[in-house]
Amino acid sequence: MASVQQSALSEFWDNLRGVPRRLYEVTFRNGVPKTDRTRSTFIFGNVFLHLHSVRTHLWSLRWSTTAGLGIITTAAFLITVITGVLLMFYYKPYTDVAYQSIKDIHFVVPTGRFIRNIHRWAANVMVVAVILHMARAFYTAAYRKPREFNWLIGWGLLVVTLALSFTGYLLPWDQLAYWAITIGANIAQSPREITDAIGITAWFDIGGLQRELLLGSDKVGEEALIRFYLLHVMILPIAICMLMAVHFWRIRKDGGLARPADADERVASERAQSYPVFTEQPEKTYQLAALVKGKTSAVGKGPENTLPSMPHLFYAELAVLMLTVLICLALAFVSDAPLKELANPLVPENPAKAPWYFLGLQEIVSFSAFTGGIGIPMLCIIGLGLIPFLDRETAGTGEWFGGPGGWKLVRWSILFGFSSSILVEAFAIRFGWLREWFPSVPQLVITLINPGTVLTGIFAVYSIWLVRRYNSTRAGALGLFTCFLCGFIVLTVIGTYFRGPNWDFYWSPSQWQAH
Amino acid sequence: MTTKPGNEVSRFDPEPIPRRDFLGLAAIATTAVTFLFSLFGMLKLPKAAVSASPAKKFNVTLPDALAAGEAYVPPGRNVAVFRDADGVFAISTVCTHLGCIVKTSKEGFDCPCHGSGFAADGTVRKGPAPKPLPWIKVTKSGSAYVVDEENTVPAGTKV
Amino acid sequence: MNKNKYLLLISSAGVLLLLVIAAVSENFFKEWHGIQASAKNPEGAIESRLRQVVNPNLRTADRCVTCHVGMAPGEQIASSLKVAAAHKPVFHSPSEMGCTVCHGGQGLATTRDDAHGTVAFWTEPMLPAKYAYAGCGTCHTPLGVPTSGVLANARKSFERLDCYACHRVDGRGGTIRVGGDVTGMEGPDLSATGIKGYNAEWYVGHVAKIASNEAWKNAFREIPDHERAALKVFLDTRMGASRLVEAKAEFNTLGCAGCHKVGNFGGDAGVDLSLSGFKDPNQVSFANVPGEHKLENWIKQHFRSPVSTVSGSQMPALGLKEDQIDLLTMYVLSLRRRTLPDVYLPKDRVRAMRFGAREFVADGEGIYAAVCTACHGASGGGTRFPGLVPNPSITNPDFLELASDEFIAQTIIKGRSGRPMLAWGERENGLSADEVAALVAYIRKLGGGVQAKPDPLPRIWAKGDTTSGGRLYTANCAGCHGALGEGRDGPAIGNKPFLDIVSDTYLTETISRGRRGTTMQGFATGSVIRRSLTPSEIEAIVVYLRSIGTK
Repeated sequence: MASVQQSALSEFWDNLRGVPRRLYEVTFRNGVPKTDRTRSTFIFGNVFLHLHSVRTHLWSLRWSTTAGLGIITTAAFLITVITGVLLMFYYKPYTDVAYQSIKDIHFVVPTGRFIRNIHRWAANVMVVAVILHMARAFYTAAYRKPREFNWLIGWGLLVVTLALSFTGYLLPWDQLAYWAITIGANIAQSPREITDAIGITAWFDIGGLQRELLLGSDKVGEEALIRFYLLHVMILPIAICMLMAVHFWRIRKDGGLARPADADERVASERAQSYPVFTEQPEKTYQLAALVKGKTSAVGKGPENTLPSMPHLFYAELAVLMLTVLICLALAFVSDAPLKELANPLVPENPAKAPWYFLGLQEIVSFSAFTGGIGIPMLCIIGLGLIPFLDRETAGTGEWFGGPGGWKLVRWSILFGFSSSILVEAFAIRFGWLREWFPSVPQLVITLINPGTVLTGIFAVYSIWLVRRYNSTRAGALGLFTCFLCGFIVLTVIGTYFRGPNWDFYWSPSQWQAH
Repeated sequence: MTTKPGNEVSRFDPEPIPRRDFLGLAAIATTAVTFLFSLFGMLKLPKAAVSASPAKKFNVTLPDALAAGEAYVPPGRNVAVFRDADGVFAISTVCTHLGCIVKTSKEGFDCPCHGSGFAADGTVRKGPAPKPLPWIKVTKSGSAYVVDEENTVPAGTKV
Repeated sequence: MNKNKYLLLISSAGVLLLLVIAAVSENFFKEWHGIQASAKNPEGAIESRLRQVVNPNLRTADRCVTCHVGMAPGEQIASSLKVAAAHKPVFHSPSEMGCTVCHGGQGLATTRDDAHGTVAFWTEPMLPAKYAYAGCGTCHTPLGVPTSGVLANARKSFERLDCYACHRVDGRGGTIRVGGDVTGMEGPDLSATGIKGYNAEWYVGHVAKIASNEAWKNAFREIPDHERAALKVFLDTRMGASRLVEAKAEFNTLGCAGCHKVGNFGGDAGVDLSLSGFKDPNQVSFANVPGEHKLENWIKQHFRSPVSTVSGSQMPALGLKEDQIDLLTMYVLSLRRRTLPDVYLPKDRVRAMRFGAREFVADGEGIYAAVCTACHGASGGGTRFPGLVPNPSITNPDFLELASDEFIAQTIIKGRSGRPMLAWGERENGLSADEVAALVAYIRKLGGGVQAKPDPLPRIWAKGDTTSGGRLYTANCAGCHGALGEGRDGPAIGNKPFLDIVSDTYLTETISRGRRGTTMQGFATGSVIRRSLTPSEIEAIVVYLRSIGTK
């Protein structure tokens, strides 16, 4: 008995001594990723990395393929999550103390101002990056089969990103926030313009309902603040995380990033330095592979121009992530997040401007609330969602500006998009619009004919012309998307820099009159 | 065409990892240091630099009718101020056991939470309290007294 | 892959660099770090940390004491650093009340410009040092403040009688000790007698001292009654902020309350000034204001030239002197009454809010100065500002002879609807019957004591033909008084409230005799351009007037 006890006890001592070693072993289960096997297990043995495939195509590793925009967006999101959680330590979502808590963050919370600046800049970087990422996916025709679903997920991510940014705008409870959200909420109410015009607002007030759901009250107040807070820190982050998970997972399921049909030949020069991987006779295949559609399992296919994701993709992604952090930090260094005076429901900001990415819409709203607030945004959102189903061609997939017309068409479209939007805006600014000429004109007419709808019409006609000229839906889509992007840029710039008090035109904010 | 476990060289990688990958190591190491550093910065944030409560140093004007041995507790404070023939002194009313607020009683102070009892001079009479109630620093300032909750004085100090 | 490694290395190094810079500046190079590093207390260097004064009742957390560390609770700074010096002795301990409640500014901030509130987007900048006592207005409102003349007279009396020799007021005087000992003060400090009270029988005590104390025989002499009355005014107005009391006296002397409301009293022709000390400097136009874009400069310029400062302003340019403007600016800045928790509500404020105590001396002279002066003039002669209706003289002997006390009182109580003259007796918190009576008496006094002639006739007795009366009115009166008596250069005699209280005797006498010293001629005597009117014609005009008043 004694000896058995003795040995169990010594075993226990051995186990105890071995704890640090075992801890290391179970944490770093696969050792240093030096061999093919350990590199592979590094990827699929890790819950965060296994959304990547074990090997990555040479085409996907080129900087020019995606410009890292998806990773930039993801990195910006991670930064906002981390800084946002830190800000939540001190932020109080009540109207009487919200502003004071931001002041505290600004002045006495250790690193508080820096963290808030990073949060704000990362959020802006995310909005810019998500728009550019969408443009990239569009211009490389990456939405085509089998990636239609992932385009739709990305489409949802765009909307949620804008919603996240918009809901965060109110939280400081300063004048900027208060009046931007007031404008935003009134844009949500803009279907009333239509229901008023046809006289059904009393029975069917969809605009009023939207506004009330958003604000929880008839004006921006305590209820709105708590709603925006809940959306900003809870509902929307959960939604965006789920969508992101699906988005990433679909990339792998859809066979990696979109690449041209002749990608293998075009990376041949890079392949020359490498060993091609043959998969005719794998020692082991995934049994599940039989169930999976697409190009993931390359069983029976020719040479694969792929590299192990660890370390090649790993370095690429980590580098872009750190670059994004650097950009956000640098911006946070040079520019403080704005904080104006305490919100005052009696003294409106003049001009009261929505967040910058909605200023293009606010520019159209200044003519017709419905067109700018609901009509054009819905048109854009529905149009974006429909792209993969309308363009079912195959030419140019994975190529920048792929498809009939190519870069030349896009170049002309940029010129056309910019010039037509600037011309229409210049006309409206210089000569006014229907209301200035015929003061008694019914609002419904203005809803139907205003710079926003006129521009949309011009773009639509241009795009139809392109479809006929190139006999290709893709050519029309290229033209239309480019024009809308240009219109968005022109209207946003005008709304941001050239609109002053009373939404009048000014060449520079220095000319604004003190009110 | 497969690799065998333990192979140090990859056959499929055009850029086999050099025996000493200084660049990669430097990049990873810098990233790791950066993350660690930022982690310290972030851990600093939740530790508030200022407290939301009023200053721990405050003025007290004792009631004229305060008898020797009778405690005067300034409103909202956890200090009992006494006046006797030798002068004025203050004793903390925060139990040294787990921080409940003790009540003054005939014997001195009694803690309602876990039954600690303290004598009138703050020494432990009974219960789980490990230390006597600390004496709080009091200084005279004109006709009033300044009580500084953050500083203690040896028991028996009166002003 | 090396491209990506380089990118990673450079980005990480950049992030690390920025983080290190941020950490160093955050922890060692903030503005207040430097100040706290040079401030020393008797025991040596002070602990470098954020300091603040928290008062949950006033909802303040003032970090001003992070730099002004000598004012932090329990700090004693020995070094000569000015910014870190202790606060001068004041009634309210800064370590209890905090800083912003008196001084304004942004208490939450920890950098200079932000804290002093001179940055854009801070609505309540610090009060300038010159007007520091305007901060008292956050909680207090001095009551029963006399006119500036009375106040100046009181000060002169105090100085002339050399009370400063023994008494200290606002840090001045009190150095002489009767009997040769110069080390201490003979009399008590009188800086706050208006708040803390004083022995009303002081004079008796002083006189008694002459008998018992040899040294006093040369130092103190008997004081005549009117001087003692002046001294009483002086003592009653010592509220620890003498300049603020002077400022308020100026406001009460110029009759600003006739148009402007402060608290719950005043007219409503002008804007309510109750919170004008909180005016947001970001929301006013500095286009025509010389000097820095500060609220006090804007207010001063507004007094000099109201219309060019606020376009469309109805306020006349009063032609004030710079020192008057300075006082009024201080008063306007002091109008910053906050909602206060009960424990901090001062007695004066409660009395003004709940018990209707007047902020001016509520005798005839005080009320007249506070309410009537701006329109009717300090001597009651009426005023005339460009672009505005002229205001009638109310001390004209012809008027005072005709107008009964009842008529004047009713005019004050009911006002003239549609005219700048408000119904002062019927307004919320308006003048009481006693106050109106005192005011009427004072107006008679201003007019040289002219009493009304008794009128044996009933109020309405004139008889005549409306049509001919109308014709005569159009020919003789409409030019000045308007076609319907709505008033032009002359007063609005068709005003219904006026006709409701005026007697026919008053009207006929006024028409036939005119008003000396005004453009109103006596119509019973003719002139080179018109014939004289007969008594029956004048009666017809009165009947016509009564008829348009009823329309």
